Amino acid sequence: MPKLEVKNLRKLFGTFEAVKDVSFQVEEKETLCLLGPSGCGKTTTLRIIAGLEAPTSGEVFVDGVRVNDIPPQKRQIGLVFQDYAIFPHLSVFENIAYGLRVRKTPGAQLKTKVHDAASLIGVDRILDVPGKKLGLSEMQRVAIGRSIVLDPKLLLLDEPLSNIDAKARERMRAELGRLQKEIGIATVYVTHDQLEALTLADRIAVMRNGLIEQIGTTGNIYDNARTLFVARFIGSPTMNLIDCELTRSGKQVILKSEDLVVDITELAEAITGKVEGRELILGIRPEDISLNIKKTNPRAIEAEVQLVEPIGAKSIYHLMIGRIAVLAKDYPMPDVNVGSRVWSTFNADKLHVFDKKTEEAIL
Amino acid sequence: MKTADRLTQWIGKTESFKKLSTLPLNFVLNFVLIVPFAIMIFLSFTKWEPLSGYDWWHAPIAGVPRFVEAFGDTRLLWALIRTTIFVAVVVPLEFLLGLGMALLFLGDFRGKKAFTSVVMYPMMMPWVVVGLGFYLMFQYYGPVNLLLLKPMFGEGGVIDWFTNSALAFVAVMIADIWQWTPLMFLIIYAGLAAVPRRLIEAAQVLGASSARIVRTVRLPLIKPLLVVALIIRGLEAFKVFDIVYIMTRGGPGVNSTEVVSLYVYNLSIVYHNTSYACAVSLIIMIGIALVTRLAIRPLEVRAE
Amino acid sequence: MVVLVWTLAPVAWMVSLSFKGPTEWYAPNVIPMTPTIDNYISLFIPTNPVGGSFFFTSITEPITKPLINSLIAAGLGTIFAVLIGFLAAYGVSRYRAGGTFVIFFTLLTRMLPGATFVAPLMVFYASIGFIDTYAGLIMLYTAVTLTYAIWLMKGFIDEIPPEWEEAALLEGASPWTVLRKITIPLTKGGLVASALFIFILNWSEFLFALVISVTQVTTLPVQISKYVSAVGRMYGSMAALGLVATIPSLVLGYIIQKHLVTGFTFGRVR
Repeated sequence: MPKLEVKNLRKLFGTFEAVKDVSFQVEEKETLCLLGPSGCGKTTTLRIIAGLEAPTSGEVFVDGVRVNDIPPQKRQIGLVFQDYAIFPHLSVFENIAYGLRVRKTPGAQLKTKVHDAASLIGVDRILDVPGKKLGLSEMQRVAIGRSIVLDPKLLLLDEPLSNIDAKARERMRAELGRLQKEIGIATVYVTHDQLEALTLADRIAVMRNGLIEQIGTTGNIYDNARTLFVARFIGSPTMNLIDCELTRSGKQVILKSEDLVVDITELAEAITGKVEGRELILGIRPEDISLNIKKTNPRAIEAEVQLVEPIGAKSIYHLMIGRIAVLAKDYPMPDVNVGSRVWSTFNADKLHVFDKKTEEAIL
Repeated sequence: MKTADRLTQWIGKTESFKKLSTLPLNFVLNFVLIVPFAIMIFLSFTKWEPLSGYDWWHAPIAGVPRFVEAFGDTRLLWALIRTTIFVAVVVPLEFLLGLGMALLFLGDFRGKKAFTSVVMYPMMMPWVVVGLGFYLMFQYYGPVNLLLLKPMFGEGGVIDWFTNSALAFVAVMIADIWQWTPLMFLIIYAGLAAVPRRLIEAAQVLGASSARIVRTVRLPLIKPLLVVALIIRGLEAFKVFDIVYIMTRGGPGVNSTEVVSLYVYNLSIVYHNTSYACAVSLIIMIGIALVTRLAIRPLEVRAE
Repeated sequence: MVVLVWTLAPVAWMVSLSFKGPTEWYAPNVIPMTPTIDNYISLFIPTNPVGGSFFFTSITEPITKPLINSLIAAGLGTIFAVLIGFLAAYGVSRYRAGGTFVIFFTLLTRMLPGATFVAPLMVFYASIGFIDTYAGLIMLYTAVTLTYAIWLMKGFIDEIPPEWEEAALLEGASPWTVLRKITIPLTKGGLVASALFIFILNWSEFLFALVISVTQVTTLPVQISKYVSAVGRMYGSMAALGLVATIPSLVLGYIIQKHLVTGFTFGRVR
């Protein structure tokens, strides 16, 4: 039985439909990420699950039990707010102990539990510090700690890393990942940062305007984007999307956009019947384009380098194929600068073809 | 003309603005505050009354004895005691009632807005009218006796409020409570409502009931506010004058409900014992300043 | 519920008294059996409508004079307090004019009982002939409420980000212009509310008015007090008078409430 099941949630704020129709399930020990831009309804969905908002329609089941009518106090769900909401007037110890005291946990047991949780999240040395004196990442740990110490059935996290500065974020991300493995509760995670989603989640639900555009495993979402939106949203740098048209000459099927010609004859069967009469968009991620100074691959296309961004192990190349701008991500090539001519090869396995507004036809 | 131009130019400058902005303030203050204050200090060392025939600046210096007189003044002592009792009773009651009301208002109920407006207005009424109103209510043939006590306790319950000094005092206290509880309510309520919603939600998710949330989250967070409210109200309560004057004029007899303000007033205006009044006033001022300082000290420390 | 009854009781009683004829003054009923507005009329036209030798003379003079006095004193006092207070508050807030001196005195006037100033004040006023004059009264009214004025306005002024004013200053405007064009329009709401509040305060002012006035400048509250002592049993008229005196406060109070809700507590304590 899934730990959490959400069915057809709908939420209206006045006339504004924040959540239109959302359904998904989360299994035990699984982490699902609700990913999407601001205002897409992900936080609202989270709050509905927690019980802080009541859905206009739809149901929420935790452990198979319908919880719509159960107030947040009794749902046994942990929630970590975006701004952590630590009690400033209480010490770290008391913050974590808060829920335990509500349950009237006896003294000795309470102490052990708090200490255990504290060690787990790394705050065992600052247990006496009052809430208002904590730094941001410490606050976050405490926020997580006070939720998990209650052994909740489900853990909800609302944009946990948004408030932390970039440097600390990397560290916290790693920590969160580690914590999740160690604790192993079913988790729902809300964020607008696709990198976080890709690193921390088992499954991702990409949301837009109150609806889930696509839901699937991390790998699935990355490789098989089903809509343009998802394709654009995931991946950094963003996927290249080029308007093109399909032409056949004999057995050869190509996608053509001015000077850019991609031969997709092998995939001809896969797309027959799905593609006629539609305007198409070709999609390819920058990392799936390989560059070479020489034309080693007969299908390679010539491009001119506009800009090189050395960002680490690989570099981002801004290319112009004719008049079309394309980004490629590949290992740095020593003699390639602005103005050089390189040969780019598009990895046929990673091609995406999209109808101009909805789906895609092939991988 | 040249000077006019220069003047306008000078006025426009920032530095002169700075001085000018507080100029009228200084003027008024000087007038109403500082000059009388100086006079007061001077006079407290003299022995003078307005009827003694000569102008006050010719008054003979009598030195310190006036102050000594003050310490031996039992009437003053009684006034102080009474006022202290007044404050000690009225302020906590107003605080508790205000707190209760504020807590009640946390939940939602119908007509909340209208309720709030109604509840607010006792504060706005002129104090004399409040005194008047309660004076009328506590009359022997008034509603308190006839509508409230008689039905409850029969004939024996009817009291003549204003001929009994203790009861008169109680009546005055009730009037004050009536008038100022809304203030405490307002301050406390504002504080309670200002607690960030997130914290309340966090506590809810952790399982806390509303009562517990109030106890463990809301109240602790507004503690400094509560203290300030108490101090402010305490100070004001000490200064009470209007309602006492209207309702009892000092009470049955000569001075059985005389509070400090009233006593000083009597000294100055009724008995025309001006220089002594000055001395007493001075003592009281210093006393209040000291007490306030002492009360503020722990606050300042905590604010760090 | 109880709260409501408790709050309304005194006023309700006064209302009922004010409409009752003299025969009913001692009776416990809330709703007058023969309602009359004579009490109100007698306030303005001194007659003896409440006949019978049982009572003293009715109110010996119409209340129009005290009423007008109150209006003038409270009105002018408020205007001055607001003007001076605003200016001073602005100076303190933006330019730190007056320094700790000003703040100190602001606190002081709040703390000390008015009665303590009465003795020397009388002497002072007598020497310069301010007793029983409008000037004296207004001066006092202004001074008493100045503290509140500054306190309140400073709060409002502080809410305006100084950057806007600084930008204007950099462009060459004089501080006065800045005040006029920028600060005032922005704080208008707060100003109005403060002014109304101070008016209510002034309207209720009693102690100093009592001290200063003899016959000429009696204000309404003072007049009321005179009736309580002299004409002790004229319940109906007293009640009517009390209510009349309260009307401005209530009206203004209502207006204020519409503008501000809870941001308007004495303790803007942070």
